[in-house]
Amino acid sequence: MSLIKRTTHPMNNEINPQCSGDPPPSAARSGRLAGAIITLTIICPMVALGQIPPRFYWKSLSDANAVPVIFQSLSGNANPMDPAYVVSPGSSVDANILTVGYAKMLPLFDRTLTLAVLEPVGRISSSTTFAGRTSPQDANGFGDPMVEVGMNLVGPKAMKTIPDLLRYEPKLSLDVIVDVAFPIGSYDGSQPLNLGQNRWYGRLGAPIVWQIGPWVPGRRTTLEALPSVWFFSENSDYVGHTLSTDPMFQLEAHLTHDFTERFWASLDATWIAGGKSTIGGVSGESLNNFGVGFTLGYQITDNLSLTAGYMATVNDSAPTDLRMDGFRISLTYGWHTIVEGQKRLKSEE
Amino acid sequence: MHLKHVSDNGFPALKMKITANNHLIRVAWVAALVATTATSPAASPSSAGTAKRPNIVIILGDDLGFADMGCFGGEIKTPNLDSLAQAGVRCTQFYTHASCSPTRSMLLTGVDTHLNGLGNMDEWTAPNQWGVDGYEGYLNNRVATLPQLLKDAGYHTYMAGKWHMGKATNQIPAARGFERDFSLLDGAGSYWDMWNFTAASPKSTFTEDGRYLKKLPRHYYATKTYTDKIIGYIEANRRYGKPFFAYVSHQAPHDPYHLPRDWRYRHVGEYDKGWDLVRKERLKRQIELGIMPAGTQLSERMWFVPDASLLAPASRAILGKKMELYAGMVENMDFHVGRLIAYLKKIGEYDNTIFIVFGDNGAEGTDLFKMIAGTPGTRDFLFASIQWSQNNPNAWGDPHSYVGYGPAWAQVSMTPFSQYKGWLAEGGIRNALIVSGPIVKRPKGSINRGVMHVADIVPTLLEVAGASYPSTVNGQAAPPLRGKSWVRLLAGEEESPRSGQDYLAWEIFGNRAVRQGDWKLRWQYKPYGTEQWEVFNLADDVAERRDLASAQPDKVKALLALWDDYVRANKVILPSRVLSEGMVKKLPDRYPVEEGFPPLIYKRQFIPPTNMLADPKP
Repeated sequence: MSLIKRTTHPMNNEINPQCSGDPPPSAARSGRLAGAIITLTIICPMVALGQIPPRFYWKSLSDANAVPVIFQSLSGNANPMDPAYVVSPGSSVDANILTVGYAKMLPLFDRTLTLAVLEPVGRISSSTTFAGRTSPQDANGFGDPMVEVGMNLVGPKAMKTIPDLLRYEPKLSLDVIVDVAFPIGSYDGSQPLNLGQNRWYGRLGAPIVWQIGPWVPGRRTTLEALPSVWFFSENSDYVGHTLSTDPMFQLEAHLTHDFTERFWASLDATWIAGGKSTIGGVSGESLNNFGVGFTLGYQITDNLSLTAGYMATVNDSAPTDLRMDGFRISLTYGWHTIVEGQKRLKSEE
Repeated sequence: MHLKHVSDNGFPALKMKITANNHLIRVAWVAALVATTATSPAASPSSAGTAKRPNIVIILGDDLGFADMGCFGGEIKTPNLDSLAQAGVRCTQFYTHASCSPTRSMLLTGVDTHLNGLGNMDEWTAPNQWGVDGYEGYLNNRVATLPQLLKDAGYHTYMAGKWHMGKATNQIPAARGFERDFSLLDGAGSYWDMWNFTAASPKSTFTEDGRYLKKLPRHYYATKTYTDKIIGYIEANRRYGKPFFAYVSHQAPHDPYHLPRDWRYRHVGEYDKGWDLVRKERLKRQIELGIMPAGTQLSERMWFVPDASLLAPASRAILGKKMELYAGMVENMDFHVGRLIAYLKKIGEYDNTIFIVFGDNGAEGTDLFKMIAGTPGTRDFLFASIQWSQNNPNAWGDPHSYVGYGPAWAQVSMTPFSQYKGWLAEGGIRNALIVSGPIVKRPKGSINRGVMHVADIVPTLLEVAGASYPSTVNGQAAPPLRGKSWVRLLAGEEESPRSGQDYLAWEIFGNRAVRQGDWKLRWQYKPYGTEQWEVFNLADDVAERRDLASAQPDKVKALLALWDDYVRANKVILPSRVLSEGMVKKLPDRYPVEEGFPPLIYKRQFIPPTNMLADPKP
């Protein structure tokens, strides 16, 4: 039974439910808007190249959920599954990786807490030069699952209600994040190329989102940055040697801009420095690499968003330089209990 | 325009062009005129030995509601307008018309709409009114205008803002008596640029000093630019020492709510509580301030407006945001009024300036945008999708956005009255009025309850300026002034410009009303009205909740006689087509709105006594 009687006012269609709790059309619009925002702001988390996608640290409604599915096709001279990017001069690595994740936002002390978990699977093939010997190699299976915990420190408070969400503007937001990868992925100590890394690693970072101009879908512009430091434990079973890696600094940046309410693009850049690896007591060189790329984003439905991007290292002419490029396509499905409930009721009308 | 003047008491009046060089002659003339016409000191504000007659500033808010300004009970912050109220007098029974151009026509002519050309709004002139004198849709050439008369009497005359009384070269402000002007000729439009609302008429028309503008000035924002212009006009001619009449006809707060970004965030979340609570709060403040007497009841919430307490938070937030923007519009307008006040203080003219502040009709509860562009597949829908589709709430206020706040908030703006703009319930026609300046001798900050009308302003200001109303206009007998001067009222010598026998009457869109004393007769189309004559006693039912027509047949008869008198005297032609046709079928059936009904959706969760709780038995 419906208590709702909807009619059309010739002069005003804004408020015309007769007396029940039926939301006015503009309220229904707010529900749709909320749905769109949820999926826009929880998108694919961490992927290879150590690159956090643009707009990842935009906030959403507390208790919103998202499942990203990310496909990447990468080529280079290092294992893209290893954020330490241990360069093997002369090697050629190709990887097809699918990452599936889950992310949720929660309120904590009135700030937004983001929890995300990711699990990569895929295949890597290479002709790798190690200790002067070139050999083809394949690896497939599960990579190391990674957990990210992020806490917003500066910026809008946690959005506990849809009105909070409707009023969200990041302005200048600052988070702290902790990423930890669990060394339980597929690993074969007899070969250098694996999806799992057989060591603990993670990072501390401080994502920043700076809103430039109005926060109007179709016109939003942001400058985003994520300075972070990666830490790696030792892998004592790395082709019969011990692999250790110094801490590595990474700075990621995005300039994002809406072209329509549903379509946006980003110029992406990343710089990594440090992270000198030592294998069996033999030290390699510290990384000092710069990569650039772009991302295109499209909101397919209120729940589903699509991104596609490309990134490549640029200062990679020397044999010991990190060389890597890759395409990325992601689909993210987002939902929130309230918004989904509204949709179910709307579908009855 | 050729005017022949007679003084108010019938003496032939001198008519002379006043220049800076013959200012002394002017003063002598005023003194002479006053000596022949004045019956009390209050009638001769310019005879008190002052060397200069007072300046006059009319601040008109477009669709500004009765209860919006802080000094009339609004939570909207209007310190500058409030300062005028504190320096002057607030009037709580001031009437305009129910829509803008009819009000403006009476403001500037003092003549009834059915005689001055605005017997109907140009946009809604009915087929049986086409080509009929008094229904031209613009100020016709049979009426004299206040700026023309004041200019003839030695005033500088300036206008900035909305005109809405004709666009042809002989109808624009420069042709109707304004020496300087910067005017939006349309009834509404963008605040940021020249875009208007219909595909047929996509661009607003502006004039500046009698020339049609090809483009707008740099950094144009309506409220700011209008204020800049008025200040500029005053400054440019200040050296001549003549008094000025400045008509600041703000577009604000008429929709669309275009507003600089800084002004959009002053009330974030404040209106999420919903219109019912805000109305109650406003009425409480009105009673505390003395705007409304104790015991005043709120009008019934419009039957198609939901109880805000039943709406989800998101709905209240979105709808509340519209009111946030509206409040910002009013506050921004107040800020610019403050700039004008500050400028006049700076040049030493403030103390010699009369301010008259009011809104032109009830607050706007109708969705103009939907009316124009609400039907997909139409030409106007296509136009709106190109020019007016920035409808994301975060874009509200930007160019190409269109937001109005709808009937629920319009009722808040018109607290405690019923209905709003376009209708003849008190919510459509009663407005807040502030008068300040040297002619106000009442206690500062006082409140007056005299029955006043926008058409009173012409006789009031003519008296203040020592000017007279012409006997003929363009060779024809001038139509009679409808209003009564406020000079004695403002001097504290009477409480109302009207006796118990005087009456006011209105007709617009076929709806009709008469007020005499505390009694009001009203006929309105369904569903806002009953299409029957209704009678209300405003002394104890300002919300028009109790129709006494059945109980007071003699009163109905007496008021109907006044209505007939009004129709005859003003050649009223009821329209054959009206704005409200078809509305009955499109709105929900009308039932009384009674708080708490139906209990089904109001009754709270039953909580049993704790000591009676039990687990289910196995």
